[in-house]
Amino acid sequence: MTVKRLQIISWIVIIGCMLIGGLLAIYLIGKETGVYDYELLFPITIGTVGGFLIFLAISRLKKKRNGNVPDFDERSVSLIKKYLMISLYVILFGSGAALIIVYAMGIKYIETGLLMIYLFSLYIILGLGTLVVKRL
Amino acid sequence: MKVINHIKEIRLKKGITQVQMAEDLQITRQTINAIEKNKYNPSLELALKLIKYFDVPIEELFYLDETKGEIK
Repeated sequence: MTVKRLQIISWIVIIGCMLIGGLLAIYLIGKETGVYDYELLFPITIGTVGGFLIFLAISRLKKKRNGNVPDFDERSVSLIKKYLMISLYVILFGSGAALIIVYAMGIKYIETGLLMIYLFSLYIILGLGTLVVKRL
Repeated sequence: MKVINHIKEIRLKKGITQVQMAEDLQITRQTINAIEKNKYNPSLELALKLIKYFDVPIEELFYLDETKGEIK
């Protein structure tokens, strides 16, 4: 499979996931309030496609400025692999330690909302870290 | 033992810039910098590409620094 083909597939998957996420949000809002506002589909689509177009414009500008130099290569892949391997253990043991500390503090229940925030912040940190490591 | 390379010297002798080399070999400029500073050992595939690109024998491009330790 060529890199170009993989790139197109990943774009389709990302845009698809964003749109599905938007639809899911409409469904959840509807379930909570009883009003299924499908007019929200318009800003969801505009936002997703607009964001994609901005990304395309930035990558075109980058290509113009840097020439045909690729964004990543074998070294970036190996750096990302190392970063993810280290972060796996940090997250695994860090979360375990945090859980033990929280339990020792006398907290017996954790709200699922809090868990969602914790996971979301982990995803953001992992994503940003990967971007930084890729540029090293 | 550390692998030492003469990529920078050969590249400068041939008058090739890092950006031009990055474009030709489809690698990032940071990777070229890391290889030239002996901070990163390229994969066998990239090493063979480098040999082909500079058209020099492998021993002229890469060699083992034997002062850093003995072969066991």
